[in-house]
Amino acid sequence: MTQAHNLSRRLFLGASAAGLAGRSALAEMADLPHHKPTAKRIIYLFQSGGPSQLESFDYKPKLKDVFKQDLPESVRQGQRLTTMSASQSSFPMVPSKFSFAQHGKSGAWVSELFPHTAKIVDELTFIKSMHTDQINHDPAVTFFQTGFQIAGRPSIGAWIAYGLGSENQNLPGFIVLISPGQGGSGQPLYDRLWGAGFLPSKYQGVKFRSIGDPVLYLKDPEGITRDDRRAYLDTLGALNQVQYEQNGDPETQARIAQYEMAFRMQASVPELTDISKEPESTFKLYGEDARKPGTFAANCLLARRLAERGVRFIQLFHRDWDHHGGLPKGMPARAKETDQAGAALVADLKQRGLLDDTLVVWGGEFGRTVYCQGRLTEDDYGRDHHPRCFTIWMAGGGMKPGTTFGSTDDFSYNITENPVDVHDLHATLLHTLGVDHTKLTYKFQGRHFRLTDVHGKVVKAVLA
Amino acid sequence: MRWHLWVLPLALSAQPVEFNRDVRPILSDRCYTCHGPDTNQRKANFRLDRDPGPEALKKAVERIVTTSPAKRMPPQYLGHAPLKDTEVALIKQWVEGGGQYQQHWSLIAPRKVSVPAGANAIDYFVRQRLTRENLAPSPRASREALMRRVALDLTGLPPSLDDLASDISYPAYVDSLLASPRYAERMAIRWLEAARYADTNGYQSDGERSMWRWRDWVLNAFATNMPYDRFTVEQLAGDLLPNATRDQKIATGFHRNHRTTAEGGIVDEEFRVEYVADRSETTAAVWLGLTVGCARCHDHKYDPISQKEYYQLFSFFNQVPEKGFVFNFGNEEPYIKAPLPDQEKRLSELDAKLEVARKRWDGLQSKIRKASAKFTPPVGWLSMDDFVLRFAGAKFDGKEFIDGGLNKTPLNFQDPFTFMATIKPEEPNGAILSKSEDYWEGTGHGLYLVDGKVRLHVVFRWTDLGLRLETEKPLPPGEHQIIATYDGKRKPGGFHIYVDGVDQPLKILFNELSWPIDSKEPFRIGAGGGKRFKGEIRDVAIWKRELTPAEWTNRSYYAWLDVAAPPEIAQARREFQAAQRERDKYFATIQTVMVMQDSPTWRKTYLLRRGAYDAPGDEVQPIVPAALPPMPAGAPRNRLGLARWLVSREHPLTARVTVNRFWQTLFGAGLVKTVEDLGSQGEWPVYQDLLDWLAVEFMDTGWDVKRLLKTMVLSETYQQTSKASAELTQRDPENRLLARGPRLRLAPEMIRDQALAASGLLVEKFGGPSVKPPQPPGLWQELAGGSGYKADEGEGRYRRSLYTYWRRTIQPPSMITFDSPTRESCVVRETRTNTPLQALNLMNDEAYVEAALRLAARMSATADPVATGFRLVLAREPQAKERELLLAAQKRFGNWNQVASIILNLDEAVTKP
Repeated sequence: MTQAHNLSRRLFLGASAAGLAGRSALAEMADLPHHKPTAKRIIYLFQSGGPSQLESFDYKPKLKDVFKQDLPESVRQGQRLTTMSASQSSFPMVPSKFSFAQHGKSGAWVSELFPHTAKIVDELTFIKSMHTDQINHDPAVTFFQTGFQIAGRPSIGAWIAYGLGSENQNLPGFIVLISPGQGGSGQPLYDRLWGAGFLPSKYQGVKFRSIGDPVLYLKDPEGITRDDRRAYLDTLGALNQVQYEQNGDPETQARIAQYEMAFRMQASVPELTDISKEPESTFKLYGEDARKPGTFAANCLLARRLAERGVRFIQLFHRDWDHHGGLPKGMPARAKETDQAGAALVADLKQRGLLDDTLVVWGGEFGRTVYCQGRLTEDDYGRDHHPRCFTIWMAGGGMKPGTTFGSTDDFSYNITENPVDVHDLHATLLHTLGVDHTKLTYKFQGRHFRLTDVHGKVVKAVLA
Repeated sequence: MRWHLWVLPLALSAQPVEFNRDVRPILSDRCYTCHGPDTNQRKANFRLDRDPGPEALKKAVERIVTTSPAKRMPPQYLGHAPLKDTEVALIKQWVEGGGQYQQHWSLIAPRKVSVPAGANAIDYFVRQRLTRENLAPSPRASREALMRRVALDLTGLPPSLDDLASDISYPAYVDSLLASPRYAERMAIRWLEAARYADTNGYQSDGERSMWRWRDWVLNAFATNMPYDRFTVEQLAGDLLPNATRDQKIATGFHRNHRTTAEGGIVDEEFRVEYVADRSETTAAVWLGLTVGCARCHDHKYDPISQKEYYQLFSFFNQVPEKGFVFNFGNEEPYIKAPLPDQEKRLSELDAKLEVARKRWDGLQSKIRKASAKFTPPVGWLSMDDFVLRFAGAKFDGKEFIDGGLNKTPLNFQDPFTFMATIKPEEPNGAILSKSEDYWEGTGHGLYLVDGKVRLHVVFRWTDLGLRLETEKPLPPGEHQIIATYDGKRKPGGFHIYVDGVDQPLKILFNELSWPIDSKEPFRIGAGGGKRFKGEIRDVAIWKRELTPAEWTNRSYYAWLDVAAPPEIAQARREFQAAQRERDKYFATIQTVMVMQDSPTWRKTYLLRRGAYDAPGDEVQPIVPAALPPMPAGAPRNRLGLARWLVSREHPLTARVTVNRFWQTLFGAGLVKTVEDLGSQGEWPVYQDLLDWLAVEFMDTGWDVKRLLKTMVLSETYQQTSKASAELTQRDPENRLLARGPRLRLAPEMIRDQALAASGLLVEKFGGPSVKPPQPPGLWQELAGGSGYKADEGEGRYRRSLYTYWRRTIQPPSMITFDSPTRESCVVRETRTNTPLQALNLMNDEAYVEAALRLAARMSATADPVATGFRLVLAREPQAKERELLLAAQKRFGNWNQVASIILNLDEAVTKP
C-alpha cells in the first residue's frame, strides 16, 4: 500500500490514530495487496430477481423438440424445488420464445433480446456454469452479496472498502446505485446487501439516490450558500480545536477532518452526478434513458463517472427480473432497460482506456428453470428459480475477453463442465484486485471471518 | 489484540506468566483450529487446549521456534505466519515455569477478593493496578462535566438547566436520575438491540409485526428495577412459570423478536430451524457470553462446546408450535392479546354491556321458541344478515354457465363466507360456483365436485399460497344441499362443508392461507377453475359471514325472528347483536404480542450434520454444556429449567457477562472488551479481580441493576476527568487501564434525543407503539416499492428514538449512520465510527435543522444566547474564546440559527464529556 493511498483511505474512513477499528484493520491487512492486481475497481451490474439464462445467453436449440414434454426425471435427479413448484402437477419444458444468433469473432450465442450486448461479446467472458446453494431471493441475494445466506456478514463492497479503501479522497470507496425496473413488481432489496455486517459501519456502501439528495443529507439547508457553509465550518473547526487543545483526544481532530471531507463531498458529488456537460454522443451510446435519473442507463453512466474518479466498488442493482409468469412480456422489457446501457458501459470504459483496470460483472442471484411454472399457453409462460446453473458475464480487469467458461446440458438444467460457485466468483473478484481471499480476514466473535468463509477457489481459467 | 504491545512487557516483568492470561490467547488464536477442541479438524491427534504432558509441550515449543520451514508451526506451507517473538517468549517462559494449564478463567466461578472496609471496590482494584503500572488516576471531572456525563449515561438525555443551577449533590443527582422513567428508556434501547427487536419481520417483503407490548414490558422492568434474575427467567420462560401472568407471557416475546420470513417458495423447516438457532445463539451471546454458533456445523474450535452440545441447547428452544413460513401481515402464532389497562377497562365495560343484553335475550328464549315452533317460514326465506346474493336455479349442460358479474362477492382471505347450493350432478366432476380464474390451478375461490367429492379452493397462488380441502367421502347419487362455511381465520379448522345439513369430515389438501386474494374474475355459477357443471344447481345463496348449523336446522326460529317477531323481541335481538358486534369489533383492535410456548408433546431434536436442516444425525437431549455446572437434579428439563440454571448462584458466566455489559454501557468498552465472547477467543479481562468482585456482589445483592450502576457511577474511577495528557493517550489509547474518565461519542439515539431535548422539541411519553419521525422521502420505495414511509404528524416526530419505527431491511438512516446495530440479529457490542456522512447528517437533516431553529429561538430569548446554548447542549459555560467565535458567527450569519447548529455539531456535543 502506498503512503498516499493509505493516507487518503484514513482520511475518508476516518480511522483516526485511536480509532479501534482503524487499528485492527491496519493490523490485519498490513500486507495488501497480496499480489499484483489486474483491476483497480469493480462495477457489479447486479440483475436482481434472477434473469433467465435460457432467454439470454445459454442457447438450447434442442428444447424446441420437447416443448410441453415433462422434464425427464433423469435430468431432474431429485433436485430440491422451491416449494413454489413442488406442488405443481407437471413440469412441461418450454424453449425460449426468442431467437438466438452467434456474434463477434468469438461466436458467442446471444438472444435477440440483447442486441447491444451482442455487439460487444468479444470483450466479454461468459461463465455459463454459475451455481448457488440458495433457491429463494432473500437468501440467494444475501449469499451473493455477503458470501452467506443469513444476514450479518459484510457485503463484498464492504470487504473491499475495508481491505483497499478508496482511491479518491472526496468520495467513498463503495457506492451503490439502484434502478427499479419498470414492471413495478420487483423483488425488494435490503440495506444489508451493501451493509458492513460485523465490520465497522464506515465500510458500508453509500447509496447514491435518484430521489432527493444523491447522498443522504448532502444538500445544505435552504438559504445556506457555499460561503456560508465554509464560514460555518471555519467556526466549528476553530471551536473543536479549542477543545482538542484541552482534551487531547485524537477523535476530536478526526472529527474536524470528517467535516472537511463532508464539505468536499458536497462539491464532488454534485459534480459527479451532474451529467449536463456530457456530450450528445454519451446519450447516443447509453441511450436516452441515461438522461432520466434512477434508470439503469443513468446509473451505468454514473458508474463510468465513478470509475473515472477511482471509486473502488460500484454496485448497481436493477430490479424486477423475477419472471415466474409472463416471461415473454417481462423479460424483453427488462432487457430493453439494461442491454444498451450495460454494453455501452463496457464500450465506454474501453474507449477511455479504463477497461484494462476496471472489472465489470453482470448477473443475477440464480437462473430459471427449463420447465414452465404456472400457466403454459402458446404465447405465455413463466419459469421458477433455478440454482443449479445460470450465466453471468464479466469484462475487463484482467479477464480473458471473448471466451466462454463452463457449460450446461441440453436443458440448461445441470452443469456439464467447470462449475463455478458463488465463493469461487468472490475469490476471483478479490483476486483481480490483488487480494488473496483467504487472507482478507476480520476477527469477530472469536473467529477470523472472510468473504469466502472456508470455501472458494480462484477461477484461473477465466483470467487473462 | 493490540493491547499486548503496551501491557505485556509490563506483565512480563511484574508478574509470573499465567496460562489463562498470557498463553491461552496465543494458542487459541494460532493453534486451536487444528489442535483444539474440534475433534474432526484435529491434526496429528495432538491437542493444546488440554495439558499434553511436559515432553509433548517441549516438542511443541521446538516446532514453534524451529527455523526449518517444513517443520515450523503454524505451518508455513498453509500460509500461516510464524508466532511473534513476544509470543514465543511468553510460551517459553510458561513452559519453563512448569507449563501449568488452567481451566479457562470464565468457566471457573467468580470469587470475591475482599476489599478494605469503606473502600469503593472499583477504585480499590483500579488504584492497585495503576500503582503497579506507575500511573496516577486523573482528577475529578468538573461538576458540569460530571452532571452531563452521568445524565447521559443513566437517562440518555442532558441535564436540565434547573439541575445545573441547583446545588444538588452528586450522589443525590445520581439517585434522581435512577428514579426517573428516562432511566428505563435509556437502558431499554441496548436491550432491544440484544433482543433484535424490530417492527417488521426482516426477510424479503419484510411485513409488519407488533411487538411493542414486549418493549413496554422491558421499559417497566427497568423502571421498577426488576432483579436481573427475574428479568432473565421471565423473558426466557415466563410462560412456563406456575400460574403465569399475562405480563410474564408478554416477557417471552424476547425470543419471538428474531427475523422471520414470508417469502413464497421457502422451505418451511429450513427457516423454522433458523429461528431456533437464532434463539440458541442469542441466549448464549446475551447470558453466557459464548459464541456457540461456531458449534452449529462442527465442534467449536476454541471453546469446550461440541456440536452435540449445541443441539442440546437448541432442543430447549425447539419446542415452539411455530412455522418457518410466517404470516406477512401481522403477528404469527403463537401470540396473545396484550391489552393495556385502559383497553382492559373498556373491554370489561363492553363485556358487561353484552352480558346484560345476553341475559335479556336469554330470558326471551322460551317465549320465542314457543311462538316460533309452529311458524312456517315464507317461501324462499333467507337470513338477510350479511347476505350477498341468491340465485333461484338452472339446469347446466356442461358448457354454458351463469356469469354473476364482477364485484358481487367481495371475498378475501380473511373474509368469512357461506356458500349454499343444492345440486343434482350428472357427472362426478364439475364447478358449482366460483370467483376464480378459469383454469384449474388459478387464483380465487371455488366450490367444485372432484370425483364426487365436494372440493373447496381459496387460492392466491396454486403452488404455495392458499387453502384446498375436500370431503373425505364422495356424494351419494341424487340431489344434495351443499353448504360451505369459513370463519375468516385462515386455519383449516375454520372451514366446514355440510352435505344435507351434516358436517363432513374433511381432507386438507393444501394449507397455507396467508396471502390476500384479489381475484378480478366474475362470480360464476356452474363454472370456474376451467371446469363446467352438468346437472342442476338451484337455491344458491352467499353470505359474507359464517352461518351456523342452527340457522338451517331451525329455520322456523330464525324466520319467525326475522319476519314475525313483535317489536320488543326484535329490539332485544338487535341490541344483543349490536352489543356482541361492538365487543368483537373492539376486541379485534386490541394489539397482540408474539410469545413463547412449548408444544404439549416434546419435539425430538437431532444433531444436524453440517448444520443442515435436512441432515439429522443422532437424537439429543436438553442438557447444558458439560464445561459448565449441570442443571440441578430436580430441575425441569425445559426453558424454565434452563433459565433458572443461567441465574443460579453457581453459574460462572451470567453475572460476569451481565456486569461486563453494564460496564460497557458506562465506560464504552467492557472490562472484557469482547462483551459477547468471554470464551477462549475473547479478550483477557483487564481487571479480572474487579469483574469478579462486581459479579459476585451483583448476585449477593439480589441482581440489583440500579445498585450495580450506582456502584459504578459513584466510583472515583468513573468520576475522573476524561482529559488526558498526550503521554497517557499514547500509553493507553483505549483507556483500558482507566487512568482517566470515559470520553466517547454518544450512542446514535442519544445524539438525536439530546438535540430534541436541548431545543425543547422532545415529547416525553413513556411506552406505547412505535412512531414515525420524518426521514428523507423515497427511502422505502426505491428498495421495496409500495406506498412508502408515511411520517407521523404531531408528537410522533419528537418522541425519543427508542420508539422510532424500525424496518429491518431499510433501517432509520440517521441511526445507522451513527453505528446502530441493524436489529437483524443479536448485537451486544457497542461500536463507534467517525465519518463524513455523520457530519452531513447532523448539519443537514431536516430534524437537526428544525432542532437548531428551535434551539436558536430558546437562546435568543435570553440575555446571553451563547451561554444558554452551551448550557442546554454542553451543560457548561462558554469560554471567552468560544464566545468570541460564536458571536462572530452570529454577526456573519445575522441570526442565531447557524450558531445553534454549530453548537449541536460540536465534537463535544456528540461526545460524552
